[in-house]
Amino acid sequence: MSREVTILIDGREVAATEGEMLHDAAKRGDVEIPVFCYEPKLGDPVGACRMCLVEIEGIPKLQTSCSTPVRDGMVVHTRTDQVKHAQSAVVEFLLVNHPLDCPVCDKGGECPLQDISIGWGPGKSRMIDEKRHFEKPIELSPLVAIDRERCILCYRCVRFSQEVSEDSQLQLLERGDRTFVGTFDDRPYVDPFHGNITDLCPVGALTSYTYRFRARPWDVEQAGSVCTLCPSQCNLSFTVRDEQVKRAIARDNPDVDDGWLCDRGRYGFEMFAAEQRVTAPRLRGGQVSWDEAIAAAAAALRAGGAEAAAIVGDASNEEGYLVQRILREALGSPHIDSRVSTGPGRDTTLRLAQPELSAKVREIDDADAILLIGTDPLHSSPILDLRIRKAMRRNGAKLAVATERPTTLDGGAAAVTRYAPGEAGAFLLELAAGLATSGTPSSRFASEEGVPEVAEVLQSAESVVVIWGERIGREGEVSIDALLDVTEALNLADKEGSGLLEIPDLANARGLREAGCLPDAGPGLTRFTLSPPQGLNVKGVGKPTEEMRAALESGELKTLVLFGVDPLRDFPDTAAWDRALTAADNLIVFSTFETATTAKADVVFPLETHAEKDGTVTHPDGRLQRVRPSAGRPGDIRPNWGVLAELAQALGHDTGIDSQPSAFAALTEAVPFYAGISDSEIAGRGVRWQDRDAASSLPAPDAPSTQGDVGTSPERFAREEQEARGDSPTPPQRRVASEGEVPTAPTGAGAPLKLGTYRDLWAGPITELNPPLRFLQPQQRVELSPADAERLELKAGDTVQVAQNGSSVHAKVIIRERLSEGVCFLIEGTAEANANALLNGAPVSVEIQKVES
Amino acid sequence: MAETRVLLKHAEDPQLRTLAGYKRHGGYQTLEKAYREMEAEEILKELEDSGLRGRGGAGFSMGKKASFLPRGEMAKYLCCNADESEPGAFKDRELMQRNPHQLIEGIAIAAIAADAGHAFIFIRGEYDAQADILDAAVAEAYEAGYLGEDILGSRRDLELVVHRGAGAYICGEETALLDALEGKRGNPRLKPPFPAVQGLYGGPTLINNVETLSNVPRIVAHGAEWFRGYGTEQSPGTKVVSVSGCVRRPGNYEVELGVPTRELIYDLAGGPLDGREVKAFYPGGSSSPVLTAEDLDLPYTFEDMAEAGSMLGSGSIVVADDSVSIPLMALRTARFYHHESCGKCTPCREGTNWTVKMLERVVRGEATPMDLDIISSVQDNIMGHCLCVLGDSMAMPVSAMVKKFRGEFEAVIDSAQAVAA
Repeated sequence: MSREVTILIDGREVAATEGEMLHDAAKRGDVEIPVFCYEPKLGDPVGACRMCLVEIEGIPKLQTSCSTPVRDGMVVHTRTDQVKHAQSAVVEFLLVNHPLDCPVCDKGGECPLQDISIGWGPGKSRMIDEKRHFEKPIELSPLVAIDRERCILCYRCVRFSQEVSEDSQLQLLERGDRTFVGTFDDRPYVDPFHGNITDLCPVGALTSYTYRFRARPWDVEQAGSVCTLCPSQCNLSFTVRDEQVKRAIARDNPDVDDGWLCDRGRYGFEMFAAEQRVTAPRLRGGQVSWDEAIAAAAAALRAGGAEAAAIVGDASNEEGYLVQRILREALGSPHIDSRVSTGPGRDTTLRLAQPELSAKVREIDDADAILLIGTDPLHSSPILDLRIRKAMRRNGAKLAVATERPTTLDGGAAAVTRYAPGEAGAFLLELAAGLATSGTPSSRFASEEGVPEVAEVLQSAESVVVIWGERIGREGEVSIDALLDVTEALNLADKEGSGLLEIPDLANARGLREAGCLPDAGPGLTRFTLSPPQGLNVKGVGKPTEEMRAALESGELKTLVLFGVDPLRDFPDTAAWDRALTAADNLIVFSTFETATTAKADVVFPLETHAEKDGTVTHPDGRLQRVRPSAGRPGDIRPNWGVLAELAQALGHDTGIDSQPSAFAALTEAVPFYAGISDSEIAGRGVRWQDRDAASSLPAPDAPSTQGDVGTSPERFAREEQEARGDSPTPPQRRVASEGEVPTAPTGAGAPLKLGTYRDLWAGPITELNPPLRFLQPQQRVELSPADAERLELKAGDTVQVAQNGSSVHAKVIIRERLSEGVCFLIEGTAEANANALLNGAPVSVEIQKVES
Repeated sequence: MAETRVLLKHAEDPQLRTLAGYKRHGGYQTLEKAYREMEAEEILKELEDSGLRGRGGAGFSMGKKASFLPRGEMAKYLCCNADESEPGAFKDRELMQRNPHQLIEGIAIAAIAADAGHAFIFIRGEYDAQADILDAAVAEAYEAGYLGEDILGSRRDLELVVHRGAGAYICGEETALLDALEGKRGNPRLKPPFPAVQGLYGGPTLINNVETLSNVPRIVAHGAEWFRGYGTEQSPGTKVVSVSGCVRRPGNYEVELGVPTRELIYDLAGGPLDGREVKAFYPGGSSSPVLTAEDLDLPYTFEDMAEAGSMLGSGSIVVADDSVSIPLMALRTARFYHHESCGKCTPCREGTNWTVKMLERVVRGEATPMDLDIISSVQDNIMGHCLCVLGDSMAMPVSAMVKKFRGEFEAVIDSAQAVAA
C-alpha cells in the first residue's frame, strides 16, 4: 500500500502519501497553490492551465504541482521569485483574452479567476490589443448559458462530459486561442448531469439560466442540506436569498455523491414556490385553521381506530416514526407501510440489513465486479450511474448487468443479460444455482444466454458490490431469497469491500423501514407478535400496501393516512387505487403539492420540502444524514414533526415530542441500532449506523425454518418460497425474452406482448412544477423490438393504444434495437397515459393496436 | 564540398521505391538477418552503441529511448513520426518518396528491438503522394512476407499501418501524435508518463522520426563502429539537411555531421544571390533561435549548435540574406506558431496570440520601443512554462531575433513614426 512520506514545502514539513499529487499534499499542509484546470473529481490531471507551477529542488524546470506525485524528501518552493514570476505570467496570459466584465458577470464575488488574479496576478495587464470576440451569451442547453469570451479553456467541463458523465457531447472546437467549447453542429447539450459544469467552471463562462442575474454572493446564504428527490440522497447547498431558494449546488461528499448532482436535484427547486404547492391545511370545504384541521383529522382517525391505515413516502425518519406511533399507539392499528407495492417480510428485511452484507457507496469505487440487478441507476438513483462509470473507467471494475430493459450502462459492461419483465427472481435463482455448483460456467448453465457470463464476472472477482432494485421484491419474497442465495454463493458477507446496495423506490425507504413503517416490524425492525411490546395496544401484524388497498375497497379498513405519497400517480393499478380511495370513509393526505390524490382527500396537510424540513434520512447504505431547514416555509406551512405530535396529542396520546431534537432523540431511542447518534455525529457528512458499535443491536433474522411464524411473510410468499426451494433437481423455468428460442414468445399478429414498466428520471411532477425543466417532460411511448414492430406493422412515431384487460393508454411507438422480442416498455408516472393504469400486481400482457390519428 | 550519401544512396534510381529496385541495391538483407538470426538485445545494443541521435528535433539517443520500454507480455507499439511540418524541414518527404522500403525495413528491425507487434507511420496529411508511395511499398512488403504474421518463420508478427494526419503541426509532437492516432483531438499529453512507458492505447510505445528509423538497417548491417565512422563523437552519422530560403540551390543535402555550416549553405546550396550576404539563419528549422553570419563557421553538429545558443533540431537550415526584414521574419514565424498552437496550455495559447498582435503593431509602425521589451518579456514568460515545446518553439526564435536585431526593430518603429509625424 501507499507509504507515508514527508516533504518540505516552503520550509515546512508536510506529511503526505507517496504518489499523491503535490498540490493535494500542499493543501493539507496549508500551502495554497493556485489551480484552474486541476480537479481531482475529474480524474487524472491534464496540466493545461499551468497555474500551479512550483519549484522542486533537483528539477531545473518548474513543475505543475497538480501532476507531480510526491516523493519522500521532496523539497518544494512555492513562493520564490521564479515561481511568483511564472504564476504571475500565467495570470497575465489568462487575462489576455478575458473580457474582465466582472461587473456584469454572475460569477463575480465567487470567481476563482478573480481570486487568483488578485492573489497571484501582476495587478495590471500590459495587453493593449483587441481581445477575441464571441457572440455572448448563447444557449449551450436550455438550462446552461455559455459565454465563450470569459472561458479560460481550463478543460473542466469538457472532461466532465467525456470522463465523468461519458456523454462526450462537449468538445473543444477549433484550436489555439480560437478554441471554444461547444457541441457537434451546435446541438444543445442534453444530459441529465450537465448542470455540474456550472459548478466546475472556474469563471463566469458557464452559468445556469435559473440563476443568472438573480443574486450576488453577498446577497445570499449557502445552506447545506440533503436532496430527497431520490434515494441517492446527494448532499447539496441551497443558495438562499430572501428566504427563497435561488440555486442548488453540489456539496461534496465522497461517501454519498462524489461531489456531483443530477439535474433533477439541481434544477428541481423552483417547484418549492409552485402554484400547486399546498400552503395551508384544508378540509373538503376549503382552507381552515390548523386547529380545525387537526381536530377534523383526529376525529377521522378516531372513527377509523384500529381500522385506520397509513402509507408513508416522502418523509424523514422522525416523521415516519411519528406516523407509526399515531397508528400503533394512539389508534391501535398495525396497518402501516412505506412501500408502493408488495415487499418482503420482516425476516427477509432483516437478512438484507445485516451489516456484513451491506455495501457502502464508496465500495463501488474499488469493487472488482459490480452486479446490477433489476434497476437502472440513471433513472432510479442517477448519481450511482456516474459512480459505476467511475469504477469501470478508473479502476477497471467489471460490470454485469441483469435487467428487464436495456440500461445506459450496458455499453461498458463485461456481461449483459436480459430477463423478461417480472422474472428477476427466476434469473437470480438460476444464477445462485450456477454459482453454487463447481465446474466451468458454461457446463453449469444448460441454455440461458447471459447467465454464465454474469457468473464468470462475479466469480473471478475478489470484491463484488451488488446493486439491486427494490422492485424485484414485487415478484414475491422468492426473488429476494434468490438474491440472498447469490450473496451466499459468492460469500459476500466475508469478502472485504463487498455487499448489497439497494436502490429503493422511495428516497428514504431505508430510514422509514428502520423507523418502523412496516406492517410487520416496529422501530428498529423489532418483531410484532401476538403479545405486543409494552405500551402498544396493537394486535398482530398489519397489512402491507396492496392488501390495504383491497381492504379499503372491501370496507375492512376505514381511514387512510397518506403521508408524502400519491398512489393515483405512483402506485401500480391506478383504477384499483381510485376505487380504494373513494371507498375510504376518511382520507387524510399530507402532501407538498396538489395532486389527484389530494383532490379526493377529506383533510389535506401541507408538507415541507427538503429545503425547509428539519430531520434525518437514512441512505440506502445506512448513512444517517440531516436535512436542514434552509429556506422559509411558504404560506402557513408548519414543521411536520410538530403537526404529527399535535395530532397525536389531539388523539389523547402524548408522544413527549416538542421539538425536532426531541423527535430525533425519541427515534434514536426507539431504534436500538441508532442508539446514541447525535446531531453532531451526523454533522455535515452523515454517519453509517453499521460503522457504530450500536450496530450489534440489529435483531438477528430467524432461521429460515421458522418461516411459518405469525404472518411475518404473507402466505403466498411462503408458498412461492417453498416451491422455489423444493428439491426439484432442475432450476425453475425462466421465460426468457432473449434472442433465439423463446418458448412463450408470441406468434401471430395479434399476440400480446409482455409489458415492462420503469420510472423514467423525468416522469413525475418535477418536470411539470419546475418551468425550466418542462422541456424534459416525457410523453408516453411504447418501446418495441424491431421484430415485434414489424409483426405489428408499426413504425416509429405511430400512435398506438396499449391495452390490458379493459384499461388502456395511448403511446407513441419507439423501436429499440436492443430490446428483446416479445416485450414492450412503458413509463410509469407520466402526467398522461401513465403505465401504472395497466399494472395489477402480476406480470401483465398487453395488446397493441395502431390508432389512426 | 561533396555530399556523403548514405541514406540517399541510389536515390537517383527511380526504381528504388519498388521492392525489386530496393532489393537490387541490397535491400531487406538486414531484415532477413535480423528476423532469422538476431535477438532483440543484440539489435538494441547495436543501436545504443552507434550513438544514433533522434533526427526529429530533440536529438535524443535512439537506442537509449528504445531501451526505456519495459519488457513483458503487454502490447507494445512502434510509431514512426512522419508528420514533418516544421517550416524549413522537408528531408523526411524525400526519404519516404525515394526510398520507402528503407524506412519499412528500419521499422521492422526496430520493432524487434522494441518488441512491438503493431507499428504505425503517422504521415503528415499534406504528404499525399508520399503516403501513396508508402502504401504501395507496405503492400509489397506484406506480399513479400516482410510484414504480417510469422515474418520469415521467426514467429514474430508485425502489422504496419500508414495513417494520414489531418494537417495539424502539433501532431508532430509525439504525445499529440498518439492522441491523434487514437482518434482523439491531437493535443499533447502530460509527461511523465513518457510514451516509452505509457503511450499508444496505454501501452509502451517507441516513437521515432523517419530519418532515424531509415538509419537502422545500415547500422544493424554494418555495426555501430561503421556508423561512428561518420560524424563526430557526440553527433555520429550522416544527416540529411534541408537548406532553403535565400540560397541558389535549395534542397536536401546529406552530409557527415560536423561539416562547417558555411559549406552547407555556400558550397552545397549555392549561397545567396550575388551581392547579397547571409544575415541570419535558422540552423534547425523555424523553432531554433536564429544564428547570424558570425556563426557560419560552426561545425554543423548537435553540440556546436547548442553551444551557440541554438539547436540542430530536425536539421533544416533556412537562410535570410540582407534583403530580408527581420521583424517581418519574426512576425511570419510567430504567426505560424500562433496558427498551430493547440490551445491546451495557457502560455502557448495566449502567448503566441499576444506576440503576433504585438509584432503586427511593430510592423505597422504602431509600436514603441517599450513594446520590444514586452515582446521579449512575453517570450521569457512562455519559455519553460508550457505543456509541450510548441510555445518555446515560437518564443526561442522570436526572442533571439529581438535580441540580436533590436536595432532593426527600432528602426522599423522609428521610420513608421517619422512617416506619421
